[in-house]
Amino acid sequence: MTKVKIATDWLAGCAGCHMSLLDIDERIVNLLESVEITSSPITDLKHPPKDGVTVGILEGAICNTHNIEVAKMMRERCQILIALGDCATFGNVPAMRNFAGTEEALKRAYLDTESVVGGLIPDSPELGKPLDMVTGIDKVVNVDLFIPGCPPSADAIFFALSELLAGRMPVFPPQYFKYD
Amino acid sequence: MEIANITINGQPVSAQVGSTILQAARQAGIDIPTLCDHPALIPIGACRICLVEVTGQRTLITACTFPITEGMVVQTESPQVVMARKLILDLLFSERNHFCPFCEASGNCELQNLGYRYGVDHWLYSTFTKAFPIDATHKHLFMEHNRCILCGRCERACSEIVANHTLGLRNRGNASMIHCDASLPWGESTCISCGTCLQVCPTGAISDKRSAFMGRDVQTESTKTTCNRCSIGCGMEVVTRAGNVLRIKSDWDAEMNGGRLCEYGRFDPLYDPRDRITSPLLRRKGRLEPVSWDEALQSVADRVGAAQGQEIGVLTSSNSTNEALYLLNKLFCQELGAKNVGLLNSVAPKLFDQPRGLLADIVAGDVIMVVGADPVKDQPVASFFVKRSVDKGARLIVVDDGENGLAPFAYMNLRIADIGRAIEIAHRAAQPIVLYGIGASEAAVKSLKALQGKARFVTLEPGVNTFAAVTFGFNNGFKPSAVKVLYASLGEQDWSGGDMLKAINKGAFVVVQASFASPLTEKADVVLPTAIWSERAGSLTNTEGRVQKVNKAVEPRGGAKPDWEILSLLAEKLGRKLGASLDEIAALAVQEIKYKENQR
Repeated sequence: MTKVKIATDWLAGCAGCHMSLLDIDERIVNLLESVEITSSPITDLKHPPKDGVTVGILEGAICNTHNIEVAKMMRERCQILIALGDCATFGNVPAMRNFAGTEEALKRAYLDTESVVGGLIPDSPELGKPLDMVTGIDKVVNVDLFIPGCPPSADAIFFALSELLAGRMPVFPPQYFKYD
Repeated sequence: MEIANITINGQPVSAQVGSTILQAARQAGIDIPTLCDHPALIPIGACRICLVEVTGQRTLITACTFPITEGMVVQTESPQVVMARKLILDLLFSERNHFCPFCEASGNCELQNLGYRYGVDHWLYSTFTKAFPIDATHKHLFMEHNRCILCGRCERACSEIVANHTLGLRNRGNASMIHCDASLPWGESTCISCGTCLQVCPTGAISDKRSAFMGRDVQTESTKTTCNRCSIGCGMEVVTRAGNVLRIKSDWDAEMNGGRLCEYGRFDPLYDPRDRITSPLLRRKGRLEPVSWDEALQSVADRVGAAQGQEIGVLTSSNSTNEALYLLNKLFCQELGAKNVGLLNSVAPKLFDQPRGLLADIVAGDVIMVVGADPVKDQPVASFFVKRSVDKGARLIVVDDGENGLAPFAYMNLRIADIGRAIEIAHRAAQPIVLYGIGASEAAVKSLKALQGKARFVTLEPGVNTFAAVTFGFNNGFKPSAVKVLYASLGEQDWSGGDMLKAINKGAFVVVQASFASPLTEKADVVLPTAIWSERAGSLTNTEGRVQKVNKAVEPRGGAKPDWEILSLLAEKLGRKLGASLDEIAALAVQEIKYKENQR
């Protein structure tokens, strides 16, 4: 039996959801018998393969143009896209920036911080441009499954992957469904 | 009582005509979700989350405002209803900052609970675009408008429960926000810091500064007890975590206050700046030194045991529990023959024989006379009742010399000497209510007799457990000069005896039961550390004569002990068995209060 391919990536997040993914612990050994993780921020290969994967998992919110690119690439290359965690589903902590406005936030971080002398706001063309509003990824690409949580529990992630492997769209029982 | 029979989700339900669908459903144990509804408030149908389907109705209707009629058929979770509720939740969640992970209310939030209930795993709409300022100018609370769902509970509580009308709603559409006195910062507004808005807020829009982020409901414990800040004795809940008091909530089920509390009860006890006494102290070579309980009590017992009855003086504050007052009276007055006893606060004048009025009567009055009392200052929760009555059209007449907090709300302000005019008006009223306190002069009391049988008379005793202290005979004029051994039960109260300190004999042996250091403890030969409100069990008698239980929420700090226990241990040292357990002493105390009250 060929293995089901999974690719993950992170956007404006804290990596906590990926930590939760790793918290599946020894169950991941069994999981890897039927699943191949082709690429992820915590493996050598960072980009999902061109020929596509079955499941794509994205952590983090959309806060700059680079995030949009990554989200779109993942959407193109996967059949089922999972928004993992509160940032990917709602915006969460990165969206706190929306209160102050992007310009104000950049100014505070790079110019007005007490320890900064002669600061500059990074504007290299290689960097993504910050957006005016931070949003969940569903405002940029279609999402097939949302797993809220900050972070989602390892059990919730394991449950979702197990259900998908069994050919079912996961419906979370209450204990796996939480926002914080 | 007329009954209507309706069907909710196929289940036959009978309820009183006039009740709403929500009330009928709740009676039958059927859960309809709500946000803007609160049992203590008048329903307004603002949030729309309680929408239900009623056969024959053109649209979904709000269960909280719609009255039932015979034969009504209601669906509370039909696909159409669920779809509508999800849409409402989507709109509510996406309007402002409803990100749970960094919210104070997460875990206790009614909006969050509904998100879970209806599986809101993402928001259809883009999130808010308008940021509101945070108002942190209030002493005890902060208002995070960005977490507000505009349910209006706080505003209605401010008006309907407390009758203070500080909070309101202003603007329209997505610019709507709660305001304080139209445009003032909260800290500079007419807010009286009763904290009722905090208690009704369903989200994290209003939070307590002191206990924010310190524990959710599931992580905390709650102990029901009685407030000991004034003579009303409001029911409250002490919220604790790991032996620490986090905050105080009012008890919605309490008969005296029904969910009301004031700043004195809700916030002040948590910010007490005074120095606690945590160990028994004994004066040796002129200095107070920490000693064991046994040693301290033995030295007290030696001096008290050797003294004649007329040499012993007993002083108590009204902060003492019924049990402590009973033991003070039993041990010192009855067993040891002390007659020189006193209470550290004044007492409301005794009226002629009349049935005792209740605070709950205030709302039934059409003319309310407040004579020589300022409940705004001394018994704020009573002032809420008065102001509520005034809101409903009752006429308030304040009869008092000097400043009175109720004066701005009064239809007439009179000096005590002019009480006759108020009495004339009260005579023409259907149900006059007279609230009176220490300021009521002898002449005023005499002229009030004209209303005997017509008005209901409500006493506003100063102090806390004054009723019981009077019942046990502690207010009969204390003479400090005659005292050789003084036993003072101060409890949490500050020393209010003033110059009495100077009048006490230089050579007198002074024993003080107190929680905090004061001029009296400095003069003491023995100081016995006393447990404070959150650390003691027992009971208090309020101004109505109602005996209410006090329960222990946390362990006493250091070596402090509850007032009754100290007296019980002392009695043992003196070889007098006056009851060993709290239950036993409490039963005796209550029996004695009832007996003496009937004799009064």
